[in-house]
Amino acid sequence: MRDRTRFTLLDFVLLALLFSGIAYIVFRMKAELHYNWDWSAVASYIIRYDAKGGEYVPGLLLSGLAVTFKLSIWSTILASIIGLFMGLMRISHKAGLRLTSALYVGIVRNIPSIVFIFIFYFFISGQIADAFNSDSLSSSISGHSDFVSLLFSPPAMFSVFISAVLTLALYEGAYMTEIVRAGIESVERGQGEAADALGFSWRQKMRYIVLPQAFKRILPPMAGQIISVIKDSAIVSVISVQDLTFRGTELMASTYKTYEIWITITMMYFLLTYGCSTAVGQMEKYMERKGYV
Amino acid sequence: MKKIVLFIFSIFFLLSGCAKNESGRLLDDVKKRGVLRVGMSTFVPWAMNDKEGNLIGFEIDVATALAKDMGVKVEFIPTKWSGIIPALLTGKFDVIIGGMGITEERIKKVDFSDPYDYTGMSIVASRKKAPGYTNLSDFNKSDIIIAARLGTTAADAAKKNFPNAQLKLFDDEAQAIQELLTDRVHAVVASSPLPEFHAIKYSSRFYLPLNDTLTKEPIGFAMRKNEDSLKDYFNSWIKKRWKDGFLRDRKKYWFRTRDWEKRVE
Repeated sequence: MRDRTRFTLLDFVLLALLFSGIAYIVFRMKAELHYNWDWSAVASYIIRYDAKGGEYVPGLLLSGLAVTFKLSIWSTILASIIGLFMGLMRISHKAGLRLTSALYVGIVRNIPSIVFIFIFYFFISGQIADAFNSDSLSSSISGHSDFVSLLFSPPAMFSVFISAVLTLALYEGAYMTEIVRAGIESVERGQGEAADALGFSWRQKMRYIVLPQAFKRILPPMAGQIISVIKDSAIVSVISVQDLTFRGTELMASTYKTYEIWITITMMYFLLTYGCSTAVGQMEKYMERKGYV
Repeated sequence: MKKIVLFIFSIFFLLSGCAKNESGRLLDDVKKRGVLRVGMSTFVPWAMNDKEGNLIGFEIDVATALAKDMGVKVEFIPTKWSGIIPALLTGKFDVIIGGMGITEERIKKVDFSDPYDYTGMSIVASRKKAPGYTNLSDFNKSDIIIAARLGTTAADAAKKNFPNAQLKLFDDEAQAIQELLTDRVHAVVASSPLPEFHAIKYSSRFYLPLNDTLTKEPIGFAMRKNEDSLKDYFNSWIKKRWKDGFLRDRKKYWFRTRDWEKRVE
């Protein structure tokens, strides 16, 4: 028997309070801001009709969203790999590996993200970007420029994009390391001991016994972290990656439609992250049905 | 722990040391590469996005013409103003063409070409919060709050001209103007003609307290130090383009007329 959700008087009172609160804020905004709302052009920032080509093309904000999306995907993949390896190193018996991982997590987690991004971008990623800028590579990129643009970014922005992906991956990787470590440590000691007793090597123990069990426990916090990657990707706008936030601030500087653009950006981020949350929710349900969890 | 910190810092500095390519050959490099990479930031009407999302503006015209005369393509790299000099120093682009005022402080870090333009800082004030102010000293009081854009010469001008006033700095002018619209600051200092444009746009709420600009400052291309051949090239280009009237003509179009407005709105 499932409980039917019923609206009680308390619910109505709460709803009424919520709506009057929103109405009050909107009213105050109207009264205080003296702002000329102008939504007329906002649609064209998302998608606009190109008269020359005779087709619809993505506007500035939508192409920014595409960059944010690509940035998040690549950083997530890279951060998961970093997280897995660093997480394994964190519980290693070798002191050197354990210390390296602890140092990495300790440094990254204790530096504000924006400072980390600046330091990494100006001091370290220059080297990496130089490697990517070398003539042989840039010519090989421009040979497949459509392909590279689709997967990463236009060749002109390639080195900045790669720097941003690396920075974000290293930053988020530290949190993922901790999630992986906690997941592995949450697997009962007896499991590991049983594997040892059966004569499994360390690699076999991890692969067949510990990691499959840890994975189920890692998944929910990991999903939260992935959504975090999307949100945190906004900070790379300070190093001038042309993501959604950067495009938005540039557009605001051009048009002075501060509020319209911020609100539009908020909704675009929300669609992306809410979509992700829903997808993860579905995946968890699916795994539950299949009996993995 | 101290040793670790020292170690990390020394790695940073070592790396940042090798980040610099051999200097002095940038002009050749640019020609060989076939692309001039230009760092800029959105400032109306120096550089901004038009309706189609293309960059337009005075600086965009200047940089495009410069690259064309060099026989190379131009590539614009939009960059946050507050980080634009470090980005130039670490080689993210070759030159800043972004209405950058030549100042003592900046000369310590970068080289400038000869001035190709002059700009002044002007001030726009709120009719409600700062009514009827007509001279500088009216704003130089401790209860006056002035907004400006972070890292610009406007911020310096505000600091110098109004040492007693409180300064509120923002990442771009749009936020500063918004602050003025909500009456949280008394005035905004920015490069002319931006304050003038806003005084016209919101004429019922803003006014121009002073008749003249606060300062008059030279604007140059900024590049890394020791790039003398590039600098010489830029200087001779600027001289030539002043003589044939190109720079004056573009300046008139972007600063004295509003014909370009329908390209943006």
